[in-house]
Amino acid sequence: MRKKQPTGEQVAPVSGDATGAAAVASTEVLTGPARSLRADAIRRLKKNKLAVAGLVWIIIVILVAITADLWAPYWLGDPVAIDSTTAAERMLLSPSVDHPFGTDKLGRDVASRVVYGARVSLLVGVVAVAIAVAIGLLMGALAAYYGGIWDAIIMRTADVFFAFPYILFAIVLIALLGPGLQNVFIAIGVLGWPSIARVFRSSILSVKENEYVDAARAMGSSTRRILLRHIMPNAVAPIIVYATMSIGGAILTEAALSFLGMGVQPPDPSWGNMLDDARSFMLTAPWLMIYPGIAILTTVLAFVLLGDGLRDALDVKMKE
Amino acid sequence: MAPLLEVDDLHMHFFTRDGVVKACDGVSFTLEAGRTLGVVGESGSGKSVTAMTVMRLIPEPPGKVVSGDIRFKGESILSMSEKDQRKLRGNRIAMIFQDPMTSLNPVFRIGQQIAEPLRLHKDMSRTEAWAAAVELLDRVGIPQAEERARNYPHEFSGGMRQRAMIAMALACGPDILIADEPTTALDVTIQAQILELMQEIQQRTESAIIMITHDLGVVADMADHIMVMYAGKAVEYGPADEVFYNPLHPYTWGLLESLPRHDVDDKGALCPIKGQPPSLINLPPGCAFSPRCAYAKPECDKKVPPLVEIDNGHLSACLFAGDIDFICQYENRVKRGEDSGGDV
Amino acid sequence: MPWGTLHRVSHGNILLDCDYSGRLMIKYIARRILQMIPVFIGVTIILFVLRSPGVVGGDPIRMITGERAISETLYNQLVERYGLDEPFYVQYATYLNDLVHGDLGQSYNKSRPVAEILWDKFPNTLRLALAAILIEMVFGIIAGIISAVKRYSFWDVLVTFSTSVLVSLPVFWLGMLLQILFGLKFKEWGLPYLPISGMSSERFPDIVHLIMPAITLASVSTAYAARIMRSQLLEVMGQDYMRTAAAKGLSHGMVIWNHGMKNAMIPVVTYFGLDFAAMMGGTVLTETVFNWPGIGYEIFLAIGQRDWPIVMGATIIIVFIVMAMNLIVDISYAFLDPRIRYGRQVA
Repeated sequence: MRKKQPTGEQVAPVSGDATGAAAVASTEVLTGPARSLRADAIRRLKKNKLAVAGLVWIIIVILVAITADLWAPYWLGDPVAIDSTTAAERMLLSPSVDHPFGTDKLGRDVASRVVYGARVSLLVGVVAVAIAVAIGLLMGALAAYYGGIWDAIIMRTADVFFAFPYILFAIVLIALLGPGLQNVFIAIGVLGWPSIARVFRSSILSVKENEYVDAARAMGSSTRRILLRHIMPNAVAPIIVYATMSIGGAILTEAALSFLGMGVQPPDPSWGNMLDDARSFMLTAPWLMIYPGIAILTTVLAFVLLGDGLRDALDVKMKE
Repeated sequence: MAPLLEVDDLHMHFFTRDGVVKACDGVSFTLEAGRTLGVVGESGSGKSVTAMTVMRLIPEPPGKVVSGDIRFKGESILSMSEKDQRKLRGNRIAMIFQDPMTSLNPVFRIGQQIAEPLRLHKDMSRTEAWAAAVELLDRVGIPQAEERARNYPHEFSGGMRQRAMIAMALACGPDILIADEPTTALDVTIQAQILELMQEIQQRTESAIIMITHDLGVVADMADHIMVMYAGKAVEYGPADEVFYNPLHPYTWGLLESLPRHDVDDKGALCPIKGQPPSLINLPPGCAFSPRCAYAKPECDKKVPPLVEIDNGHLSACLFAGDIDFICQYENRVKRGEDSGGDV
Repeated sequence: MPWGTLHRVSHGNILLDCDYSGRLMIKYIARRILQMIPVFIGVTIILFVLRSPGVVGGDPIRMITGERAISETLYNQLVERYGLDEPFYVQYATYLNDLVHGDLGQSYNKSRPVAEILWDKFPNTLRLALAAILIEMVFGIIAGIISAVKRYSFWDVLVTFSTSVLVSLPVFWLGMLLQILFGLKFKEWGLPYLPISGMSSERFPDIVHLIMPAITLASVSTAYAARIMRSQLLEVMGQDYMRTAAAKGLSHGMVIWNHGMKNAMIPVVTYFGLDFAAMMGGTVLTETVFNWPGIGYEIFLAIGQRDWPIVMGATIIIVFIVMAMNLIVDISYAFLDPRIRYGRQVA
């Protein structure tokens, strides 16, 4: 109820009080003309400080990841290569000016590895979710558009996927496919589509039931045109929200897989495999696990907050 | 002796981010025991807010009674403790809501829901209250009440649910029954049945009734007095017959004209009031109705017209309500309608 | 917790049906069971295909032998022994038949039946999951109620933000942080500390061993539970019947407690059911971090040793638990919500 209706009709101050008198107040108040949906959404997103903070942090992480080659190796040190001559004296140094996040057991700069780890995480987040969204949109659209037997087959297949606990299925898939970044993409992408398909299918179906679609049909619009002009714009909002949140989920999954030694393989850095390395030095070198962990937490949190903000701004109803 | 209910210059405002919504802005009326008051207006006119304020059901914040008073049997409800207010609610003053589909709790049996106020206010045991609930259901015309009391709301039709709501409101034998658009959400045939039931209740019980509706036709046969509300204010108040046959405000004229009437020929097209009710945040400086009023004059926008007594007990908030020529404009229009139609 | 597991928790559209004999309930359950059959077939096909030759991972014999070189005779013997020369559908039928008889195959490394190994580990995982669910119920429900009832207050903001943090937290990292603080650092500082690994020792009672793993496993789920509780209660508080209840003269607290909670709790209870099943699969990380000898840790170890029968057997058991839990949740939903009990739910 905190969210405004896109029509701009509801301005009443509605607190979720049990009496529900709020609902009366809201229907009894009328305001000025409706603003455009997108402008309205952006305005509401801007008001949500947490979502804006999330967005800013995501942009920072992206910039850091993209420009890493330009500065990280020079300022901080090579993230992968081991300088055998000096490794011994540079092992497990605690954070200092030279090494802001300390060094690892092979004398490599942790900060540099965290920076390069951002690349992996963002890449996994974006690519894996893109795969999931692509398959999910296709399947969801097929199910909703053709209905009948197609709908049944696709949705039952989705049910089959849902019967597997997500992380377990990912682990089993990678175990069979073999470790590596590529297979992480595939696993997360393949496991992610059923949720997207469900969300997309149900939003298509709910938009399809709306009166204006009936009206468009009555006026003789072609089915494809109806799908593109009327259904897509309305069905897209939940997908945007869902995809944003899924990126956070994908980053977490990659971290978990790498932590179990099934994702990015050493010596290449990923936040997950850095945490795996850190386990052996929990007491002696806690910085090894602090910084990659914070990197995962803040980045995933940024996507979650942005997703929450988008959900509120776009007025998408989702089951948590 | 003090009247049953007095509402005295009540101002209920909502304080929102977008501004202060003056949902109920200086409403006064009195209700005597056993009488029926019809409150009529479009949605957004503040009629529901007024009723909910009497029930103290408006969450505060955002709502706030800025000034005015509500007295039940001479005692101010607003200055009562929350606990004493609750003793009135559902007991001495009960309410029926608009949508019987959503106003009943889906996970409790109908009988339980009717028995609840009895257990709360009358200290009845579970079995006593259940028996009373069955009897109440029977009284509001539910067949096989014994069995039906065990049903859940979704097993009832809309009309039956509204009957159950009425039974719930009547449970403690309230002094005042507030019905907020009790028929709006129902099918037309069911509407008539529910109205009939309300009339029967009115005759059989001692309860005074406040009937809130956007449809003058609904209160036509029931109300002793009618209050017409617009933009949070009462614009006309008087005995029902007076308001019906001798309306003194252009808004009431509009409501009457937009009503299909048996006594005026249907061939004259229904005449809806043009435009939208104003935003309650930024009310125009003068008469709130003037932008939509077909008879508006420049003076109308200067100051808010007060609600003044024009006739014996008949009040209007139109600057020109006392102006015979002005009233004649309306009378003439109605007459023309009658001339073309031929019968009265 | 995977993202968006809660797809099952929805009311759907309910058609009226006034025939309220128990027959409808039986029909409802029967229909739910029938709907599970294609899912069951799908799940078994997927798992069967995954362990078949030519698909991922390639040759199952190679999966058994690993990098070791073996003679052609041995290779052919193995093919025959595992029935790999049979046609696809015969292999699948054999596989199904074995499953139905509880035969999950033989562990490569431990030369024990997989079912037996997993049966040993299962109570440990169950204990961990039960403890986690308990934590989740208590904290999730309380936090959700506070947050909804005191909406927009400091507490609401705190709950909302901390649930966002919890769902963003890698569970294994949380586990490690707990280990460092309450296990290692507390010990260093001479404070009472907690054991960081295993599920029993001479020094600590078993229940103390359970504390940190259970908190870790419960963390994300608790956050989701709080969010669901909050949103459900907020939704319910905006319903007309809450206003009706207030109009009867019930106090604010009684309105929420008597009329709100029963409605709001229905989806929350079903969430716990589904989450309990999901936890069975989600224990891999937590059990690995804490060396908890349950099914999850067993899977992790088996993957390292390429002991595929254990991995596949554990997976299929967990999937069965999830499916059974879904069924139980659906049935309990019907008991909790009279609209489903007596009506037909239309998808």
